[in-house]
Parts: sequence; structure tokens; C-alpha cells
Amino acid sequence: MLLHLLNRSPASSQVPQDALRAMGAHDRLLLIESAVYGAVAPQADLYAALEGRCFALREDLVSRGLVEHCAPWIAMVDMAEFVDLTAQTQRTVSWY
Amino acid sequence: MSEETAPAMLVILRHAPHDSSWLREGLDVALVAAAFGQRVTLLFLGDGVEALRPGQSAGALGQKGTHPTLDMLAMYDIEDIRVDRDSLERRGLTPDALGWTAAPVDVESLPALIAGSAAVFNF
Amino acid sequence: MQNAPLRYAVVVQGGPYSHQAAHSALRFARAVIAAGHRLQTVFFYHDGVYNASRLAAPPQDEPQLREGWQALASEHGCELLVCIAAALRRGLIDEGEAARHGKPAHSLEAPFVLTGLGQLVQAAVDHDRLVTFSP
Repeated sequence: MLLHLLNRSPASSQVPQDALRAMGAHDRLLLIESAVYGAVAPQADLYAALEGRCFALREDLVSRGLVEHCAPWIAMVDMAEFVDLTAQTQRTVSWY
Repeated sequence: MSEETAPAMLVILRHAPHDSSWLREGLDVALVAAAFGQRVTLLFLGDGVEALRPGQSAGALGQKGTHPTLDMLAMYDIEDIRVDRDSLERRGLTPDALGWTAAPVDVESLPALIAGSAAVFNF
Repeated sequence: MQNAPLRYAVVVQGGPYSHQAAHSALRFARAVIAAGHRLQTVFFYHDGVYNASRLAAPPQDEPQLREGWQALASEHGCELLVCIAAALRRGLIDEGEAARHGKPAHSLEAPFVLTGLGQLVQAAVDHDRLVTFSP
């Protein structure tokens, strides 16, 4: 099981779609930096099928004014939980 | 594990030539890994497939581009070169139309290629 | 956390003050240590090499990134490795390379160390985790 780390939003880039195509059935996805714009409707629909394995970095949602708008199928994590995600998964692949 | 079955290091190249240094710097990692005795698989994905388009040349200011490096891959024992089929189709390219030989990877086998590698560098 | 400590490498490919990547990387690096893991290596590549400049003079009320990296080295023994090929092209040069290339000044000093890409490949092989932050 891998962790995919993404910092682009679907509205601005093709990279999120590339990352999704590269993900295995149990892999996890963490949205950071500008990728958290994709945690909000309607962009967040792209990740609806990943419920339970899609995460967004809370501090990046907070700084962008999005923390109240994060889609319910995307779990907010703090920095410590980000580290835990990298520890629990075999490897991290960054998409940018 | 024998050398044949040991998983290779995967270098994914997702940036087009000339625009930025990403493609060259990604290729540099692949060349150094191979020089250090790692088995290396290259995967061209997204805009990275533009690196395989035939007919490239140096930039107007003499920028080297990356096509000369692709010609040298075999010298570094980098023989396993793959290309994402979906990325080719989006750009009107086919495996036969490329300037270098690359094995197309279907969307069904992409996750396994990434998960099965010894390490992944994503450029 | 219950799990055994892991050895981490963090790769920084974003320049300071031009993209969030370097800030994210430093936040993550500190969290790795706070979680009880060992942050063994930070490798600076692409525009990430600018993080090593000893001549940067950011405003006092902004995050002091370079001091942050230095503290990881001095307080936690983390190696700060800078890709020499990416660095020399961009004017990041230590005293020895400055003399060798006939340059009038140097812009990089310890604890940052110029090194080859082989160290990045090695980090991918012998660290438990490698996490990359890019612009």
C-alpha cells in the first residue's frame, strides 16, 4: 500500500487524474498545498470513490479558508497524522 | 532474489523537454542510479511522453535538450523504457510514432508497475 | 505512536519564499522528529538548492527557513545534502568550488554539503522512507 502525495487541484491541472490512474485499489491519497482546493465541492467529486483513503492536510485547508468546506468523504489530518500516513504505507509517491 | 527478479528503481518522467529542467534532472537521477548499479525502469507519463517525439533539436540559444540523453540510455544499461498509453492517446501519439522504442503501459497495469518497484522517483 | 522508529529522507525541490514546498518540507521534517522517527537526510534538488544560500536575507517577520534547516542538523544530526550539479548551475557554491571555478565569493557553507546525485539514490535504497516536496 502506497501513499500518494498531491499538491495540484483538478481545476488547474491534469496531475490529479494522473495520480488517480497510478493508484492501486488500497493506496491512499493525501492532498496538500493547492491540492486542498480539490477537497471542496464540486472538485471533490473526483475523490468520492476514495472514501476512507483520501485525506487533506488540515493546516493547508485552514490557511486557504476551506476548513468548513471540506467534503465529508475526505478526512482532515494534521502534520503528525501526515507522518503516521507515511509510516503506515510502504512508500510515498509525490505528484506535483 | 536474483538480479533478474529483483525489483527495479522506477523513474517517472512527467515533464516536456525544453520548458523546464525537470526532464533533464529526472533523467540525471536515472543515469546516476544505473551508474550505481541499480536496475532502472523509465516511465514516460503525462507531458513526459513529449520527450519521445521524433524530430527534436537543440533550443534556439543552443540549449541541449534531452534527446541526446535518450540516445545514451542503452550505454547506461537502461533498457526497460515504458510509456503510458493514455498519455500518448491524449496527445495524438502512438507507440509506433515515437522516436525511441518504449513499451506501452495500459491503465490496468500502471498501479502494479508503481507498487512493484524498489523505489519511485516521480519527476 | 507504537511503531518502531523509521529512518526518513526528505527531498526538497522547491526554492524558499517562492513556493510552499520548502515550508511544507520543513514542517514535515520537524513532525517526523516529533513522532520519534529519525530524520537522517534532507536532500536539496532542482530549485530546492536555493534553501542552502548563506546570503539570503529574508524579512525578520517571515519564516526563517535556512535557520530551520540548520537546526535540524545541529540539534538532530540530520545531514543537509545539496546536489552539486543543480547547485553550481544556480550559483550555490561552497568555498572550495568557488576557488576551483575562480569565483569571488561563496554562497554555501556547512552544515549544507555539496554532494552527488548518488547520495539521493542511496537514500532511496537505505532509508525506510523518502518523502519529496516539490513546487
